[in-house]
Amino acid sequence: MHTPLVKLQAIRKSYSLGKVDVTALREVTLVIDPGEFVALSGTSGSGKTTLLNLIGCLDKPSAGTIQLAGLDVTALSLPSLANIRSRKIGFIFQTFNLIPVLSAFENVEYPLLFAGLGHRQRQERVRQWLNQVGLENQARQRPDQLSGGQRQRVAIARAMVTQPNLVLADEPTANLDSETAGQILDLMSQINQETGTTFLFATHDPRIRDRASRQIHLHDGQIANDVILTETSRRFANAH
Amino acid sequence: MLTRIAFRNVFRNRRRSLITMLVLIVGATALILFGGYKEISFYGLRESTIRNRVGHLQVYKKGFLDSESQKPLEFGLENVSQLRRAIESDARVEMTVPQISLMGLVTNGEKSETFLATGVESDKDQKMSAQRLVAGESISDKETDGVIVGELLARSMGVKPGDYLTLMTTTVSGSLNGLDVRVRGTFATGMKEFDERAIKMPLAGAQQLLQTQKIERLLVLLKNTDDTDGVKTMLESRFVQNRWDLEMRDWAALATYYHQVRNIFNGIFGFLGIIVFLIVIVSVANTIILSIFERTREIGTLMAMGTRRRQIWAMFFLEGLMIGVVGGLLGIAVGSAVGELINQAHIQLPPPPGYTTGYNLKIMLKPSILVTVMLLSSVTATLASVLPALKASRLRIVDALGHI
Repeated sequence: MHTPLVKLQAIRKSYSLGKVDVTALREVTLVIDPGEFVALSGTSGSGKTTLLNLIGCLDKPSAGTIQLAGLDVTALSLPSLANIRSRKIGFIFQTFNLIPVLSAFENVEYPLLFAGLGHRQRQERVRQWLNQVGLENQARQRPDQLSGGQRQRVAIARAMVTQPNLVLADEPTANLDSETAGQILDLMSQINQETGTTFLFATHDPRIRDRASRQIHLHDGQIANDVILTETSRRFANAH
Repeated sequence: MLTRIAFRNVFRNRRRSLITMLVLIVGATALILFGGYKEISFYGLRESTIRNRVGHLQVYKKGFLDSESQKPLEFGLENVSQLRRAIESDARVEMTVPQISLMGLVTNGEKSETFLATGVESDKDQKMSAQRLVAGESISDKETDGVIVGELLARSMGVKPGDYLTLMTTTVSGSLNGLDVRVRGTFATGMKEFDERAIKMPLAGAQQLLQTQKIERLLVLLKNTDDTDGVKTMLESRFVQNRWDLEMRDWAALATYYHQVRNIFNGIFGFLGIIVFLIVIVSVANTIILSIFERTREIGTLMAMGTRRRQIWAMFFLEGLMIGVVGGLLGIAVGSAVGELINQAHIQLPPPPGYTTGYNLKIMLKPSILVTVMLLSSVTATLASVLPALKASRLRIVDALGHI
């Protein structure tokens, strides 16, 4: 039997908002296999971002366990979690979150600083991924000299450059026009197919959601719907 | 890469960095100017104290310093010509100056005042130029009973050059003696209390009044103040070799007023330093705090990608250090330039307390001051960034990422 990439067991997450305790996730149990291209949908406040944060080792659950590639990360220390993030997980954000004072090249290079690679290997890897996202000519430009779509491409290259098992994207297309959003999703889908990297992205845009091979719908902190779509059913869904 | 990020962030918000740098520059300039003024004042006061009054070294007969004299010149020096030749043979020595100081009553026939007289060789006295002649002419060895009188004492006695006064004091044998003297001139030293009592007379005149051939002390003046310790050591061993019954003091032990002024100035300088230190701390801390607030999401992103908390801390700490170093360097440049401008401008200052004459404002741009200011500026700016940097490194990643 294969090991799932992500395994959540009865996850609960609550936090205090002023004097009120808010439960963002309740009893979420979920398994994601390597190579999946998963859309996480739901209204805002449904717990999408909280779920991504927990899977991304950015936060700890109030109850339940999280396993990443068979490793229980629930009880790990902060430095160990940082280590896992830098090696196994890539992040793509709605607002791109590039470092403004670094060039596109340096932004992509940054996560590699924790990967223990030599200078030349780093340079090669960065160049390879800038080519992959079609920005080889924009390497020296700072984020403020790039368009929104180009910035998100840099962010994708940055997420992929460490060759992670899992890429988490929180509303990656929400700040882009629909054409650019489609291109970004094509790029992510292409990388998913070529490298087998698992993608989990939160979105409430139905056009984006419907291009995923699996759709998980969250409602009030619980999984309301979890559908794995075959290629045929996906085409059918897209056509209608 | 973190260093690169820190460095580029210093120049990211140009206006804010500029204001912070300006605070550093103004602070550094204030310290350099005050420090430079302090140093030139110390230097001027030291040299004038030495060259006009106490000399670099003073030689006395053994016992002079510790024993209480029962009679004038009980511990005086006799037959000093051999001693003077021995001292003056050293190339570092400029001259030796025999002196007698005596106290007594001065009267114009109607009114009496206490006086404080110094007997000195006239050519040496002119070289030391301890006083500024206000009227008449200087003392001369040819006229042993010709004296010059402090301006304020002359006014109190109602005398002018050419008038006569009578000095009365106790001789070395303990009896009273008087001497009619002619006022050759009046002088001012700038020190009011001194000018109210002071008389200068030829050494021979003083000896005549005291009925002795002795002198009280021998002042040694050097070409360069830095040689004081070397010459002192040399003389000490020579005294022992020749079995001369002598003892010595250097200017540092004699110039009490110099040390008092120095302490006061250093206190003020320290206080000013603390104020600048506080202003710089608040200003740099404010810059770093604002910078952290603006970059909270960036910090979250960096941490999400695996950057350790101590690296985040180091990044902001480095930013503070860079602001401090750059600001300090600019501060030194600006401070030195302003100091140089002030030196070129020949600004006249009013007389300091206790003095009657003004002087030129000068700033001494001593390397030690510049180094101190540089260190103070960088250390302060770095210290100011410690706490904000710690705050940044303790942010929760999810909170930082959710920050708008």
